[in-house]
Amino acid sequence: MNNRLRVLRAERKWSQQDLADRLEVSRQSVNAIETGKYDPSLPLAFKLARLFSTSIEAIFVEGS
Amino acid sequence: MSVCASTTPASRRYLLRFGSTMASYIVLFALAENAFRHHHPTGVGAIALALGPALAIVASIGVVGLYLTEEQDEFQQMLFVRSILWGIGLTLAFTTTRGFLELFTPIDRFPLYAVYPVFWMIVGLTQGAHSWYYRSRNE
Repeated sequence: MNNRLRVLRAERKWSQQDLADRLEVSRQSVNAIETGKYDPSLPLAFKLARLFSTSIEAIFVEGS
Repeated sequence: MSVCASTTPASRRYLLRFGSTMASYIVLFALAENAFRHHHPTGVGAIALALGPALAIVASIGVVGLYLTEEQDEFQQMLFVRSILWGIGLTLAFTTTRGFLELFTPIDRFPLYAVYPVFWMIVGLTQGAHSWYYRSRNE
């Protein structure tokens, strides 16, 4: 699944660690999601959407 | 490594607890070894001494279960479960293969107490592989 996490994070000038702290997960987790190696669960996806004040569909795009 | 490299509160508690059980294991194993070598205990005392190190091992399995219930980082939790599954699968494959070799060939018996360290060795290798695959750069 593709995602716009890196772009959204860059817009806010957040490092991976900054985002990880806000999500209460490890930096490795943020990296795995950003690089598409791991698709988050629905609760984490909702948390991301809330954090960026957008919808899940605006962050995650179907496709490899 | 999924657990070792991460710094979630649950992983820190896990490392502390797991370290404690392993330290207990070493102490109980040394006690049993010393007692059987020098005092030759028999009966209930011998059984209790022999079971001591095993209890520490059972406790360490409980620590693993506790970590999996406490870990809030779903990605770290998934990596750990995957490592454990690799450990279980490859340990079963190794012990079964070894068992057939022992049954049909004059190979020495593999000590059963060494199965658990073999399991953790495989888990450790898998965690290393995960760490490499999911390596993250500081961005």
